[in-house]
Amino acid sequence: MKSFKFIIPLLLGILAVLCFAPTAWAFCGFYVAKADSKLYNKASQVVIAREGDRTVLTMANDYQGQVRDFAMVVPVPTVITKEQVRVAEPKIIERLDAFSAPRLVEYFDDDPCAPVYKRGLLQAVPSATVNEAGDRLRDRSLGVTVEARFSVGEYDILILSAKESGGLETWLQRNGYKIPKGANQLLKPYIRSSMKFFVAKVNLDRFEQAGYQFLRPLQISYKSPRFMLPIRLGMINATTEQDLLIYVLSPKGQTEITNYRTVKVPSDVNIPLFIKDEFGNFYNSTFQTAYTKEGKKVAFLEYAWDMSSCDPCSAEPLTTEELKQAGVFWLDDNSRNSISPSRRSLPTNNVFISRLHVRYTRDKFPEDLMFQETSNTQSFQGRYVLQHPYTGELKCQAGREYKRSLFNRFEQEAQTLARLTNWNIQDIRQKMKLTTTNLTSSWWENFLTWLGI
Amino acid sequence: MLLKDVRDYQILFLSLFLLLGMATRDWTLKLEMITVAIATCLLTQWLLSWLKNQHTQDTDHPLRSLPYSLLPPEINLRSPLITSLGLSLLLRADHWTTMALAAASAIASKFIFQINAKHFFNPGNFGIITALVLTPDAWVSPGQWGEDWWYGLLFVGAGGMILQRIGRWDTTAAFLGFYAFLEAIRNIWLGWTWDVYWHRLMSGSLLLFALFMITDPRSIPNARIGRIIWAITIAIITFILRNYFFVPTAVFWALFAFAPLTVLLDILHPSLRFSWFEMDKREC
Repeated sequence: MKSFKFIIPLLLGILAVLCFAPTAWAFCGFYVAKADSKLYNKASQVVIAREGDRTVLTMANDYQGQVRDFAMVVPVPTVITKEQVRVAEPKIIERLDAFSAPRLVEYFDDDPCAPVYKRGLLQAVPSATVNEAGDRLRDRSLGVTVEARFSVGEYDILILSAKESGGLETWLQRNGYKIPKGANQLLKPYIRSSMKFFVAKVNLDRFEQAGYQFLRPLQISYKSPRFMLPIRLGMINATTEQDLLIYVLSPKGQTEITNYRTVKVPSDVNIPLFIKDEFGNFYNSTFQTAYTKEGKKVAFLEYAWDMSSCDPCSAEPLTTEELKQAGVFWLDDNSRNSISPSRRSLPTNNVFISRLHVRYTRDKFPEDLMFQETSNTQSFQGRYVLQHPYTGELKCQAGREYKRSLFNRFEQEAQTLARLTNWNIQDIRQKMKLTTTNLTSSWWENFLTWLGI
Repeated sequence: MLLKDVRDYQILFLSLFLLLGMATRDWTLKLEMITVAIATCLLTQWLLSWLKNQHTQDTDHPLRSLPYSLLPPEINLRSPLITSLGLSLLLRADHWTTMALAAASAIASKFIFQINAKHFFNPGNFGIITALVLTPDAWVSPGQWGEDWWYGLLFVGAGGMILQRIGRWDTTAAFLGFYAFLEAIRNIWLGWTWDVYWHRLMSGSLLLFALFMITDPRSIPNARIGRIIWAITIAIITFILRNYFFVPTAVFWALFAFAPLTVLLDILHPSLRFSWFEMDKREC
């Protein structure tokens, strides 16, 4: 329509006056500590690199027990061949974990008596296969088809398709897989939605020959419009809450869960200085409190960032090589490192990371996790701030005012901490005194501050 | 007067959801985006009404003689407000230009896609699909509305609709009922437990869609039988897109694709056209 053509520019012109400039995200502060996956007892970790309908899924095994008893059954959308499976380096998941973990940063107050000049110039100081697939075996009586059978690294892998769940359960048991009771009921929906089963076992000879200490992550690639993660099977014999850390790597932006709410972890708050020594404990409590507050049925976003930079960095950004190992398959190969003083940056590599933390139980997470990639490129990080007071001599008026303001500040920090962690505020206040005694020089100054004079 | 028109209740409900959403639920909701949506919808409505007025005015009419023709027509505030609130609730974008495009095209669709002076695309839905197709940064967050809270929304929304007597509850009932039926069959066939079923049905944008989008009486079929056939068709397509093509925004695509079906159903099942004005008279 003719008249429509000039309306849009006009509207845009009017709206431009309203001027919604995107908020600049700039953090600084000295990176001190991170709350990584080691905090949790039973945290499974999964990396999903996805572009379009192509997915590279890396699964870390947190298996605790005899390696010979290890067996993994994962529903997958398509038949997987030997070329689509590889063993990934365990280090790569540690790197992603370290890069995206909730972090503790610290700032130091300036001398309030120093001549006033532009403050806030604190620079951040970042701390630093052989193809043997295709021997199809068909066990007609059980309705189970072995779509592929091959070995990769220390793993013996089977890709099964089944007609009915009872048959699959029997087949697995006959072939020496310890399947927990109740699996039958849970396998059925996957069979009916024509999913295949990726079954892995450890080949003990090869495991011992290679001298591995731990099971290495398995990485599979496939093409399917399904963007989901089956969690139901993992809940069969779970007695307690399970933690799942999902690192989704996308060329576009944030990934969110479409069938559960995705909520940001509390972030960007000032907390007392003593947390420096117990950051892990602090984050654990903070997470648990947020989890309980949200009714135990949401997924938490712990980090969302373009992977070419970080600020502050809790670990070096991943190199192109490392990203490739993590499954990123859409990278250009023009790597050139450039490091600026305040931010680390690698060449734009089109990788956006979303770190999702799901703590789930059977009653609150009935359905498998479904994801969608969005074009939301807003950065977010779980970030907690320690603000060190100025400890030098204070002989000016501004200095005295500063000193008085500290009490309120500390009290505020104590209250924030109590709210986040559900810890007892009296205990917090007591602990804080220990760290703040050397700040005020005499008891009467303390008293005056307390009176607010 | 305020709350005299039934649409005022709808505006009230939608604003309430937005406020609640921003306060308690959805961190992807942003005030500036809502402002952009409202401003663009109102402006587009005003401009296009004015242009249309210019085009169709009767110069013989004393009030339509030249000096008056430059004046804008009486502006319809309610319809663009509802559209903009609906867009704010459902559509997410990285840049405000995307939201402006969605809002402008939503309103423009009412003026452009008309047959017998009746528009057949749902404006909000048209805006959402335009943004999803034409821009790289638009998305819909189906999971961000949680579950429990939606029981409240369901009751308030449904109660509100019946109270308003707009007579379009049949569409919501047919859509939700048939969709729930299809999902139930699938659930039984797959062998999932019923908590999976309820969890699937409580998808936030599905309910918001069923209560507030497909009930727009101005763009859906006029006859009851036409509306039921139409709603069931959309339910079937939504079901297929969601479960077999794994499209998280299935409802919006289904409505968009089958909006023109309204024209056909109106021919096959002729009935009186809905008018807010008639509605007001009836209420009096």
